[in-house]
Amino acid sequence: MLNENIIEKVIDKALSNGADFAELFVENTFNSSIAFNDNKTKQNIVGNDYGAGVRVFYGHTAIYAFTNDLSEEALLKAADAVSKAAKGGDVVTSIDLTKRDITNIHKVIIPNNTIAKKEKIDFIRKVNEASRGYNNQISQVDIRFMEKNQHVMIANSEGLHVEDNRNYSRVYVSSIASNGTEKQVGGEGPGRFAGYEFFNSIDPVELGKETARVAVTMLNADYAPSGKFPVVIDNGFGGVIFHEACGHSLETTAVAKGASVFVGKMGKKIAFDKLTAIDDGTMPNEWGSENIDDEGMETKKTVLIENGILKSYMVDKMGSLKTGFARTGSGRRQSYKFAPASRMRNTYIANGNDDFNEMIASIDEGIYAAKMGGGSVSPGTGNFNFSIGEGYMIRNGKIAEPVRGATLIGNGADALLKISMISDNMEMAQGMCGSVSGSVPTNVGQPAIKIDEIIVGGRK
Amino acid sequence: MEENKGGAEMYSKEFETIFAYAKDKTDDIEILLSAGNSFSVKINEQNVESFNYADSKGIGVRIITGGKVGYAYTEKFDEETFKRIVDEAIENAKYTEDDDLVIMENYPENKDCPNVYSKELDKVDVSDKIQLAKDLEKYAKQADERVFNVPYAMYADGKSYSRIANSKGLDREDTQNYAYSYVGVLSAEKDDKRMGMDFLITRDFSKFDPKKMAEVSVKKSTDLLNGLPVNSGKYPVVFNNEMMATMLATFSSIFNAKSVQEGRSLLKGKIGQKIADEKVTIVDDSLHPEGFSTSAFDSEGYPTEKTVLIEKGILKTYLHNTITARKDGVRSTGNAARGYKGTLGISTSNFMIEAGEHKEADLFNKHDSIIEIVSLQGMHSGANAISGDFSLGAQGFLWENGKRKHSLKPFTVSGNFLQMLSDVEAIADNFNFDISSNGASSVLIKELNISG
Repeated sequence: MLNENIIEKVIDKALSNGADFAELFVENTFNSSIAFNDNKTKQNIVGNDYGAGVRVFYGHTAIYAFTNDLSEEALLKAADAVSKAAKGGDVVTSIDLTKRDITNIHKVIIPNNTIAKKEKIDFIRKVNEASRGYNNQISQVDIRFMEKNQHVMIANSEGLHVEDNRNYSRVYVSSIASNGTEKQVGGEGPGRFAGYEFFNSIDPVELGKETARVAVTMLNADYAPSGKFPVVIDNGFGGVIFHEACGHSLETTAVAKGASVFVGKMGKKIAFDKLTAIDDGTMPNEWGSENIDDEGMETKKTVLIENGILKSYMVDKMGSLKTGFARTGSGRRQSYKFAPASRMRNTYIANGNDDFNEMIASIDEGIYAAKMGGGSVSPGTGNFNFSIGEGYMIRNGKIAEPVRGATLIGNGADALLKISMISDNMEMAQGMCGSVSGSVPTNVGQPAIKIDEIIVGGRK
Repeated sequence: MEENKGGAEMYSKEFETIFAYAKDKTDDIEILLSAGNSFSVKINEQNVESFNYADSKGIGVRIITGGKVGYAYTEKFDEETFKRIVDEAIENAKYTEDDDLVIMENYPENKDCPNVYSKELDKVDVSDKIQLAKDLEKYAKQADERVFNVPYAMYADGKSYSRIANSKGLDREDTQNYAYSYVGVLSAEKDDKRMGMDFLITRDFSKFDPKKMAEVSVKKSTDLLNGLPVNSGKYPVVFNNEMMATMLATFSSIFNAKSVQEGRSLLKGKIGQKIADEKVTIVDDSLHPEGFSTSAFDSEGYPTEKTVLIEKGILKTYLHNTITARKDGVRSTGNAARGYKGTLGISTSNFMIEAGEHKEADLFNKHDSIIEIVSLQGMHSGANAISGDFSLGAQGFLWENGKRKHSLKPFTVSGNFLQMLSDVEAIADNFNFDISSNGASSVLIKELNISG
């Protein structure tokens, strides 16, 4: 992407005031998106994100600058600015970069932007027709078809020089059911770290129908009750509970500052005995996967919690310097506009051996959350919330009538200990996770789990 | 970002290149450019945790060909790329099926826009900015021994330039700057941990008072300690001014004419109807001198204005761009919104519920038992702007007979936004804008569901 001679000059310049470490990140990204609603292709946009970020460390201080101008002059100016923001010790000069080829573990068969627009629109139309055809209460279908091809180059003062090419494909469908006075929504957003072959692998009719089914079910549902209940949260996006209740608090971004409920808990029991949780960037073509992180390190499979015991945080380079724990290839960023930070990849609770039906049968009155919406957490307090997208009452050990979306709240340290059963149907779902280094693709996942008690924010 | 020399438009060469190339290929073209620089510093344990400098620019085109619209953008600035984005936008237009009539015009200019740029702010020394952030952390730690961590102590500022021009001769530009700072503290007592935050956004650096901001955030955090569980049920609820602004912003899309026309808003067909209590007046004002979403023109270059959306409970209008306005047979309200990377939509600017006449304390005298909400979580997941339903994580206090009795353990609040607007019992006079230019006073709602 850039001449090695220029990269070396920029890194040398960034180090010239005695910085401990310098890094250059260059990005050239092609985005394409189609927005469809009202039975029509409404908006069509393509674009080019292009820029570079220079980062230096002085001790535990990180300095970052970015620019859209990739000329030698502009990059040296950015490097000069970051170098002068602090004063270091001995100056290391003339770094020697060695271009390293990375192993591509995520094969792309049909690269993004090589398929005709018409084919994409045909796919979208099939989703739209399937949703509208499901039930005459479907009043609107919104579909967003997104492709992204991100080419990155990362070089640093330790001699690293790597490039990678990342293909992302995702379609987001939101169906609205209406009975004249009320409206409810059903949404699905499948995506992969892959090319167009992903769209060929999904059935647009099933996708459309599924969103319509949830919207119509929720339209004809009553409100959820209020109070404390046992809850069974099913697989897929249900994994958002671990993501919010625990995941963010295991990122060194929070841990290094002491602003996490899991500080000082390494090697200690923090969860139910049978709970094992993993953050894995190596799963082939999964939405949160990568070959290398945004600091140029090979991504890894990181066991966070094993049988209830805290085994690892998610650690980026600065997090490693601050906490002393080894890096886990977790340094991620939305784009060159952000300095990297420790972030989740594909994060999931591993399969247990409890039977799903026995879980339901163990509850007299509770909630079954078939699908979850999003959520959020304050890592410092551990207080989290997430919302139910498709819910049902559990009565006398059986799944009963549907109930409308309610928010569940709890405290991370607490909720992990209140998990009492883990099933064996692990599945993942795709999301965009927002934090200090921007919005990055992440998978959440889990088998069905039972939580003995959680606050349900219903209206009855 | 280039220096603005004597009011002459910046990036003229880029605009000329694109216009010249597009002239014979498109019916009309609009070019939107954003450029800016920004700075931020974060402090941890009295050391600089991070410095960020940004220098960014991007250009987006919206073209009309054969009555169809196409978009493309780039952050790479060279002649070849500029020509490519015009061609890509034309290609994109071929696949657009929207039958809305889209017209570009040379709209009249708004002459009276409040000043949104401070030369003085650009001159503030970096060392003063760092000191401010350090002081935030220092004072926060000193303020109360229950504070165990200050995860956020930061200062940021920036300057942005935008220019929009179209092939009908419209050409507008705008330069703005801003500075903001926030501090977030964690305090603990027994098992209860709480976060408190305070912020200020301004163009006058002398307005930052780190001691006061630190003390406010610490008080917000420590007041919440030792929370007791709430009994689930229905309660009268007071949203403080900050949380009322958050609620308003979360449901702002119900006023968006595009959402209305596409069947995604609860307000469809309700113009002229009473949809809220008569104490409620909701306004969007792009020309508000104290807002930070102030601009004389919108993303189509259309002149902005103060728009009354709900007047004494009656729905008066939706927020429009020229496309939705043409469809409804009304005038645009100047709320077209688009970044160079995006497509044309509609958004609020300085968006607010007008202040009432009550002192905030009076609100708590209106019922024996009231729940005060001072913090909300999960707005992006627990609130559904299409149905109006919300179920949110919340923190706050129980009031009895006009006295704040005690803090509550985290609970949920749920209801429906439109119902809530009809159930407004009293509005206080403590109007304030939040950091995103949504403004409100504290508001008493007759009844909402609380679960804990």
